[in-house]
Amino acid sequence: MKLIFEYEEQTTGYLPDEDIQIDLPKEIIRKELPLPNVSEISTVRHYINLSKKNFAVDVGFYPLGSCTMKYNPKINEDLARLEGLRDLHPLSPDDCVQGALQLMWELEQDLMEITGMDSFSLQPAAGAQGELLGIMITKAYFKQNNEKRTKILIPDSAHGTNPASAAMCRCETITIPSDSRGNMDIDKFKQSLTPDVGLVMLTNPNTLGLFEENILEISNLARNNGTLMYCDGANMNALLGITRPRDQGFDMIHLNLHKTFSTPHGGGGPGAGPLGVQSFLSDYLPTPRIIKQNNKYILDYNKRKSVGRIRSFNGNFSVLVRAYSYIKSWGTDIRKVSEHAVLNANYLLTLLKDVYELSFDRTCAHEFVLSSNKFGNRSAMNIAKRLLDYGFHPPTVYFPLIVREALMIEPTETESKETLDRFVMALRSIADEIKENPIVVKDAPHTTSIGRLDEVAAARRPNLRWVIPSRPGDENNRDLKFQKPDKQ
Amino acid sequence: MNYIPTSEKDQKEMLKQIGISSIDDLVKEFKPPFPRKLSLSKSMSEFDLTKHMKSLALRNRILKCFVGAGSYNHYIPSALNHLLMRGEFYTGYTPYQAEINQGILQTMYEFQSFICLLTGMDVANASLYEGASALAEAILMSSSYTGRNHVFVKNGLHPQYLEVLQTYCKGTDFEFTDKIDDKTACVIAQNPDFYGNVENLLQLSERAHKAGALFITCVVEPTSLAILEPPGNYGADIVVGEGQSFGIPLNFGGPYLGFFAVKDFLLKKIPGRISGMTTDSKGDKGFVLTFQAREQHIRRERATSNITTNEGLMALASTIYLALMGRTGLRDVAKLSYSRAHLLFKKLKGIGFEALNGKPFYNEFLMKAPKSPEKIISTLINNGIFGGLDLGKDTMLICCTEMNTIQDIENYISIVRGIT
Repeated sequence: MKLIFEYEEQTTGYLPDEDIQIDLPKEIIRKELPLPNVSEISTVRHYINLSKKNFAVDVGFYPLGSCTMKYNPKINEDLARLEGLRDLHPLSPDDCVQGALQLMWELEQDLMEITGMDSFSLQPAAGAQGELLGIMITKAYFKQNNEKRTKILIPDSAHGTNPASAAMCRCETITIPSDSRGNMDIDKFKQSLTPDVGLVMLTNPNTLGLFEENILEISNLARNNGTLMYCDGANMNALLGITRPRDQGFDMIHLNLHKTFSTPHGGGGPGAGPLGVQSFLSDYLPTPRIIKQNNKYILDYNKRKSVGRIRSFNGNFSVLVRAYSYIKSWGTDIRKVSEHAVLNANYLLTLLKDVYELSFDRTCAHEFVLSSNKFGNRSAMNIAKRLLDYGFHPPTVYFPLIVREALMIEPTETESKETLDRFVMALRSIADEIKENPIVVKDAPHTTSIGRLDEVAAARRPNLRWVIPSRPGDENNRDLKFQKPDKQ
Repeated sequence: MNYIPTSEKDQKEMLKQIGISSIDDLVKEFKPPFPRKLSLSKSMSEFDLTKHMKSLALRNRILKCFVGAGSYNHYIPSALNHLLMRGEFYTGYTPYQAEINQGILQTMYEFQSFICLLTGMDVANASLYEGASALAEAILMSSSYTGRNHVFVKNGLHPQYLEVLQTYCKGTDFEFTDKIDDKTACVIAQNPDFYGNVENLLQLSERAHKAGALFITCVVEPTSLAILEPPGNYGADIVVGEGQSFGIPLNFGGPYLGFFAVKDFLLKKIPGRISGMTTDSKGDKGFVLTFQAREQHIRRERATSNITTNEGLMALASTIYLALMGRTGLRDVAKLSYSRAHLLFKKLKGIGFEALNGKPFYNEFLMKAPKSPEKIISTLINNGIFGGLDLGKDTMLICCTEMNTIQDIENYISIVRGIT
């Protein structure tokens, strides 16, 4: 398909036409603005046609493990676009935004109830930022207590963001291996739990989709060692109303509202990663905090021991609006979400474990990891690509890193038995194909608009932007390094 | 509401297939069990939920906005929302499977192209969270590139951005200094700055480069780029900023759109996703996520950043915005914003306000008020106008965009004139 830069010139005129002279010094005025002018009809068709070249939850089953790709209720889109929630300037006086502050305050209360924590900051823009904030708070807490603790224990099944966030805070990561049941190896954990360990970061259930069986022992050991416990709440979709991270011994948790609480994040975001903490850490949360005083909501900038701001303004507010209305729509019945997420995952696991290998034969939580190792090297990638021909989004592949040829499957609660059955049929039939007609799997996909793409070439000869076709005498065109002949 | 499609009959069959009699058998391992029902409000129907949300929305006042300061009220063409509401766009995620995500991958490539064209840079990523944390990432990148840890911030950076930088750098070995020397990793300048001042930063970038430091320009009001010299032309190595002005509503502060563009020598240090053009097995043109070896899911503690979820949908919104507005439309936005701001500025001068911008400005300016700013602002608010930010010492920061009509400006002036 053409790029938006390659259409006929036409202007639309969305704004009043006025004759305006810009009176600014010559050395700051732009000489040329090399953007296209495209007619509205061409723009609309361009993006509608591009939208049709996408897979999404609204199109079909999207069991991308660890990402909780559940259905996004339509009503939440309308509600987030109510003028009274959408057209608010973030620096408006508190008096003028009482509804918005009330919404945020109530959302904090609900998240506190769901996790058991004592306070929340809604500021972090995504899970990884919530995590970063959690580590910053850990550092500030130990600094306040005059303790030098720079190590963070992270199991080898953890998301890559955990060690990456630790590194951004200049903390040392110690990786703890998993044991034969998929738990963090408790003996190795004990050995590594030295007095300089500040934090244990756990995802529970972990990325294998398994509930950490020793969680209470782990958090006790950590507490006795003066070490804080951090929960990566990416997998909270398994636990709503069933067990609370605080009661498991965690001191902090971030939630991925765009996963568990169903806010859409097409193309990669936006998310929201609120951080909840126990009361002894509340004062470290970013400012401003929302407080309720005499039935009025105010933003409190009193810094106390706060680590400071982690982003501008009030967090991803319109994501918060959707999460709030999602929680309100479920209300006290929200446990059903997790029950069905776990039911769907175990149903799939039961119907697939005789064909694919299961590294840890246990009841799973909201997701599980199969291995296609017996079908050979690169088989997980081939299976993923073949699933495209069957009309499904593939599972997460090659993660967690500790399972060879991993297929990480998370069905979520919003899929029917009929869909799950079709998915089982597809995966079973691909397993047959590998034995009977391997080439059809190896060369997949066959039905998509485009075949497997040359990723090596993409990295070796980077073409990362459209370049103005060169014209004679155009000195601004200094980006030829990234231009490669286009074979259109 | 109930968004679960499983019937009771299907549920029974599924349990039977698994070999258990109730869901409780599956979750009994999750310990400790929570002994009661969560104390949330009662489940709401769509009907009740809508009523409830509308009542919350009504507790907010929508004001005529004369404030910017990092969040700008611009016109959004109707077509944008129609396109953004396509379920194929908004209910997906990161395009890990290129074959079924060519649409979003191409829009990412177009977004990167737009950002490069506007800033005069070589490469851009597919978005970060928002302007302030994007700037923090730029510091981390500068340090990793230069091996240095001092940061020079020119006066006039958005105070919240500065706070975020301090948060990101706290507890690390970064130091904010007022010198540019052989320890300086980067020199940061916002343009237009927080007070609206616009300048050519060529001299500052030359000073930075002479000291071996990287020069970072932060653009918080990017519609300015329609009429102002692109930072690439005055020596920026990194241009970061806030893309909210491009088709994203005020949203009470988020989600917004961090953008991040660099000169080509910094390509491999960029944080976040990048879409690249390549070919498939048949030689057809297509797009993939590229340079993934920089990212956390592969590189873990050695990644260039921890970012994963970004602001993809917001990047799509601004791509569509820029396509709809085009070169001419974006220039109209800038010209109207410039003209309205200068009109209000002139009229305020006429009623005793004093100009404080030492330099030319675009659509935002700082003035000393002849009366108490607190009183001016509260009187304007009583009349439905968010008239400015009180920055202390009798000063007010005021902004206009194309949304502020000449009539709005007349009203503003007549209300302020009426204050005794």
